[in-house]
Amino acid sequence: MPDGFIVTVIKSLILANLVMGVFAMLTWAERRMLGRFQVRLGPNRVGPFGLLQPIADLLKLIRKESLLPVGVNPVLYLAAPVVSLFASLAVFAVIPFGGQATIPGTDFKIFLWVSNPSVALLVVFALGSLSFYGFLVGGWSSSSKYSLLGSMRAVSQLISYEVSLALAVIGVVMMSHSLSLTAIVEAQHRDGLPYIIPQFLGFAVYVVAATAETNRIPFDLPEAEGELVAGYHTEYGGMRFAMFQNAEYVALIAFSAIASVLFLGGYGWPWLPGPIWMLLEMAIFIFVAMWLRATLPRVRYDKLMSIGWKVLLPAATLNLLVTSVIVAWRA
Amino acid sequence: MTYDIVFVVASVVAIVAALMVVLSGNPFISSLALIGNLIALATFYLLLQSDFLAAAQVIVYAGAVMIMFLFVTAYLGGRADEPTRQRPIWQTLAALVAAAGIAAEIVFGVTRESFLHGPVVSDAFGAPQAIAGRFLGRYLLAFEGTSLLLLIAAVGGVVLATRRPAPRGADEPGAFEVERPQRVRSLQSSVMQAETAFEVVRTGARADEKDEA
Repeated sequence: MPDGFIVTVIKSLILANLVMGVFAMLTWAERRMLGRFQVRLGPNRVGPFGLLQPIADLLKLIRKESLLPVGVNPVLYLAAPVVSLFASLAVFAVIPFGGQATIPGTDFKIFLWVSNPSVALLVVFALGSLSFYGFLVGGWSSSSKYSLLGSMRAVSQLISYEVSLALAVIGVVMMSHSLSLTAIVEAQHRDGLPYIIPQFLGFAVYVVAATAETNRIPFDLPEAEGELVAGYHTEYGGMRFAMFQNAEYVALIAFSAIASVLFLGGYGWPWLPGPIWMLLEMAIFIFVAMWLRATLPRVRYDKLMSIGWKVLLPAATLNLLVTSVIVAWRA
Repeated sequence: MTYDIVFVVASVVAIVAALMVVLSGNPFISSLALIGNLIALATFYLLLQSDFLAAAQVIVYAGAVMIMFLFVTAYLGGRADEPTRQRPIWQTLAALVAAAGIAAEIVFGVTRESFLHGPVVSDAFGAPQAIAGRFLGRYLLAFEGTSLLLLIAAVGGVVLATRRPAPRGADEPGAFEVERPQRVRSLQSSVMQAETAFEVVRTGARADEKDEA
C-alpha cells in the first residue's frame, strides 16, 4: 500500500461504487443497443432516453419478497450470490487505471490503482476460479434439477475455457517478462506497439474464451432458457437474482479492462489522461460483446466443448510455442 | 498490528474449516470447508511475503482441484456414502497415532532456538522470477520429473475414461445391442430419429432367467 491505509480504503470504495454505477448504465445501454440492432426502440419511457430505467429496475427488484424455497440449504443458498459478486468485483483491486496522478487543486499525489502486486495476473485468475463456486454452490443448494444441471454446465464450460484463457495470456507474460499489469503496460510502450499486433492469435483466443467465461451469448449455455428455465439461478428472485446478474456484468467489465491492459496498451497512450484511455478501450470490448449478443445464435453444447478443447486450446498452444521460440531467440 | 489481526483471523478460519472438513457428515459441505481452509493457508503465505505461492495455492488447490471434488460430489448427490459411520476401530486408533506424531513434530519445531528469531529476507523473496530461477536451474530434474508424472497421469485418465468393456457375443449372458430403426421418411425425420428414437434390445438371456426357464 504505497498510498497508506486510509487512502487505499477510500480508493477501493470509490472504485467499487464506480463499477456498480457502470454496471447500472450497462444494463440500460445493452437494452437500448439490442433495440437498435433489432430495429425497435428499447426502453425509452423512464426519464430522458430511458436513462432512469436501471433505477426503476432496482426499485422493482428490491420490493420483491425474499423467498427461500423449500428444501434448500439456507446458508449456502444465501452465500452463493455474494461469493460470485465478491469474486468478480475484487478483480478491480489489481487493475491499473493510470500511473501517478495529482488531485486537482492540491499537490496530493495518488496512484490510480488500488494495489499493484508483482503477481497481479495470477491474482486475477485466482479470483476468477473462486467465482465458479458461486455458480456451483448456488445451483447445488437450490435443490432443483434445472439449477443443478445449469450449475454443472456452467462449471464444466468455465473450466474448459479457463485453460485456453490462461494459455492465451502467457504469450503476453513472456513478451513483457512480468506478471505485473503496470509492468505489462510499460513494456508495450517501451517496445512501441500494443501486444494485439504481435500476439494477435493470443488476443483472438482471449476474446473468445472471455466471452465464454462471462456466460454471454453465443456461449450462454449455463442459462439456456429454452432447456434449463434459467440455469443455476432458476430458484433465485429479487435482489439475489440481481446479484448474480450483477456478477456477470462486473465480470464482463473486468475482462474488458484486463484485455485493454494486456493487448491495447492500457492507460499509457499520450494526449488524453490514462483513465479516459482505459474507459475508451473497455468500451470497445463491451460494445463488441453486446454486438455478438445481438447477432449470434446460441451454440450447441457439444459444439461448445469441441470449440473449447479442439480449436482454442491448440491455437493457444501454438501461440505459446511460437512466442517462446521468438522470445528465446531474441534474448 | 494489522498483520497480527490478519494472522489471528486466518488462524481461526483455518482451524474451524479444518474441523468442519472432518466433522461434517455431508461430503459437499466438507469440500467447501476444505476450500475455506486452503484460502486461509494462502493468507498465511501472503503474510510470509510469498505472493506467488499464495496466488498459485488459490488457483491450483482452491480453484482447480477442489472444483473437481465438488463437481463429483454434486453429481453423485445423496448416493455418496457417509464415510464417518461405522468405521473400523483401527482407523480411529491409526488417526490418533498420526495426529500425535504431527503434534510432536510441531512442538519440536516451535521450541527450537532458530524459531524465535525468524530469517530476514529481501523484497525479492518469493517473487516469480526467483522461483522460476530455482525450478529451471538447480531443481530442473525434479521439476521435469514431476511434470512427466503429471503427463502420465493425464494420459492414464484419458485411457481409463475411453476404455469400453469388450463386446459380448449375442448369445452370451447379459449381451445388449442398440438397434436403430431403419425406415427413412425425410431428411429431417431421419435426423430426428437418429438422435432420439433408438431402442435398447436385450439379445442374450441372463443366467438366472435361463435357470427359471
